[in-house]
Amino acid sequence: MASSGSGYDLSPTTFSPDGRIFQVEYASKSVASSGTLIGLKCSDGIVLACEKLLANKMLVPGSNKRINTVSKTSGCAFTGFVSDGRQIVNRAREEASSYLDTYGIPVPPSVLADRLAHYVHYFTLHGALRPFGASMVLGCYEEDMDEASLYMVEPSGQVFKYFGCAAGKGRQGAKTEIEKLDLSTLTVAQGVKEAARIVTMLRDDGKDKPMELEISTVAAENNYVHKPCEKSVIAEAEKWAKEQIEEEEDMEEDED
Amino acid sequence: MASLLHPSQTSNPYNLKPGEVSSGTTIMAVPFKGGVVLGADSRVSTGTYVANRASDKIAQLTENIFCCRSGSAADTQALTDYVKFYLQQWEVESGRPATVKVAAHLMRKICYQNKDNLSAGVIVAGWDPVSKGQVYNIPLGGTCIEMKCAIGGSGSTYIYGLTDALYKENMGKQETLDFVKKSISHAMARDGSSGGIIRTCVVTEDGVEREYIPGNKLPYGP
Amino acid sequence: MSTLSFSLDPTAAQTTPSQRTQYPIVTGTSVVGLKYKGGVMLAADTLCSYGSMAKYKDARRIRTVGTNTIIGASGEYSDFQSIMDTLEGHTQDDVNYDDGHKSDAKSIHSYLRAIMYQRRSKMNPLWNDLVIAGSGFLGYVDKIGTTYEDDFIATGFGSYLAIPILRSKWRPDLTEGEARALLEDCLRVLFYRDCRALNRIQIAKVAEGETGVVSEPYELETNWEGAGFESTKGGMEGDGGW
Repeated sequence: MASSGSGYDLSPTTFSPDGRIFQVEYASKSVASSGTLIGLKCSDGIVLACEKLLANKMLVPGSNKRINTVSKTSGCAFTGFVSDGRQIVNRAREEASSYLDTYGIPVPPSVLADRLAHYVHYFTLHGALRPFGASMVLGCYEEDMDEASLYMVEPSGQVFKYFGCAAGKGRQGAKTEIEKLDLSTLTVAQGVKEAARIVTMLRDDGKDKPMELEISTVAAENNYVHKPCEKSVIAEAEKWAKEQIEEEEDMEEDED
Repeated sequence: MASLLHPSQTSNPYNLKPGEVSSGTTIMAVPFKGGVVLGADSRVSTGTYVANRASDKIAQLTENIFCCRSGSAADTQALTDYVKFYLQQWEVESGRPATVKVAAHLMRKICYQNKDNLSAGVIVAGWDPVSKGQVYNIPLGGTCIEMKCAIGGSGSTYIYGLTDALYKENMGKQETLDFVKKSISHAMARDGSSGGIIRTCVVTEDGVEREYIPGNKLPYGP
Repeated sequence: MSTLSFSLDPTAAQTTPSQRTQYPIVTGTSVVGLKYKGGVMLAADTLCSYGSMAKYKDARRIRTVGTNTIIGASGEYSDFQSIMDTLEGHTQDDVNYDDGHKSDAKSIHSYLRAIMYQRRSKMNPLWNDLVIAGSGFLGYVDKIGTTYEDDFIATGFGSYLAIPILRSKWRPDLTEGEARALLEDCLRVLFYRDCRALNRIQIAKVAEGETGVVSEPYELETNWEGAGFESTKGGMEGDGGW
């Protein structure tokens, strides 16, 4: 056999001799090659932003959403296989509404994230199932703790809590850019613009490929209700982003 | 066959079955600035026989949440056991102490869904770091209402006037405790199904203090 | 029928009739609502009775559903709480779908009709009479699923005491202030003449193009003067002693 792993990639039930589960890695690969997705925990809430690559110019704007509301104060964004992502969104909504029904309070973000991770992980354990080809970022607010928090669930079933996170094609660059931000003072309003800048800046060279930018917030100024941003707000952020990027490019040219 | 009269108008308000043990009771809970006071008499009867004269009608649901029981002893014991179990699960999943609101909601849910088979009127009260001292009243049908002063059980009907007159906003811990003891004493004096001793429970940020007043040392009278 | 207290006949258990909720425990009394020029208004007191006992004096019986519908409930309060939980769930579902659709008062009214009728058909009714109000809409649903829409609606005792007042005083061009005064008049009469009523009330409105608002509870002014109070017979002959 060519490599020690070959032949061990047909089912997530079997480890390769060097301890890997190829099906899960392939699932992660499919996420790594789709639109950039970032999440920011700002001083007064959460910003989610997603680059939606359009396979077809004839698509109606606003269709096939990547950012969805899960409950009053929580939203999620995903990237990867859209149909897989939607499945996780549905599960998140079921968890949120059944939790509210049984306990009379909104589901705490940590619990929602944990339960989703369990759900996603389950699909990496069975021969009859295929792992999800999507990563999901959750932005939620919890009234009891007065805290907004950010989580990311990956195809492996791993979940972590973040100050800032990224997935998809531009994740590496996005992470570097996010690290440059001062998230302890950055407001949601600024965060929306920065998110637009980061996503736009990391686009492939073929910049005229059709894409749609989706942004949503869970912000103090809206009582932490999850709200997809208005088209006008996104357009403004994109405009600002492009100006910033051009300025930076000009400066680089000057230096040369 | 269930009576067509409203439970408050019958001599058997909880529709007890023949021989069923009832805590024909006086229970009470009042929140104050730093916590909450719960109180109850200790009589359990079957018909007119006192089956237990030293019972504890204040059940502990979690470290900081309690519940006063009235109605069928069997039903309310089962009920508190369930809520206790669900709250334990909640605390394990959430990694922090349960809130009184969640406890009351669970209790309400079970009472409401099983209203045709239960004879239970409970008061859920406790202290939590989110909303401090709180009291929720859950009577027969499974309604759930937060209250500033909750009384329940057969004996409570004799002291509505007394508690309305004595209750004040912003009482301190000792004042609230005295108010509870006095109110329950007067109910026990007039309700044949309430009696024995008074058990109280004070829940604050610092923990739980339980005490009892013997039946011959009740603060009855002016 | 066998006189044995138990039997091995497997069908025996089914021959005993079972009875469910079939009376309310914690109850709210009348809700009154009317249309006025530029909106719809509801009013109810904040009392929930336990039999004849005035047990809960701060029970809010009018609530909003989503942003532009308000519901007032009389009858069993636990059933009302449960109905509101369900409706709030549906409201969140509407938000989640994110397709711009929101349930309006008319569709909520229709939905509640279906639920109320289904439950009564299972011999397990939700023991409420509801008044639903939204932009240009005022409707009624009761515990057995009867519905109607009208310019003014009252439940419970209100249908005896408030409807006659509304019939003589209601006009389609009532201003907001006049509408509120008329509802207060209705609730005042109900307070005087309904043993389960209270003079602590809430008013709610959905004005055209605005979101629904429910007022904080406030106390109604009452009048205890006049000949009949000052002298028992009101100065007239005959026995006014009762």
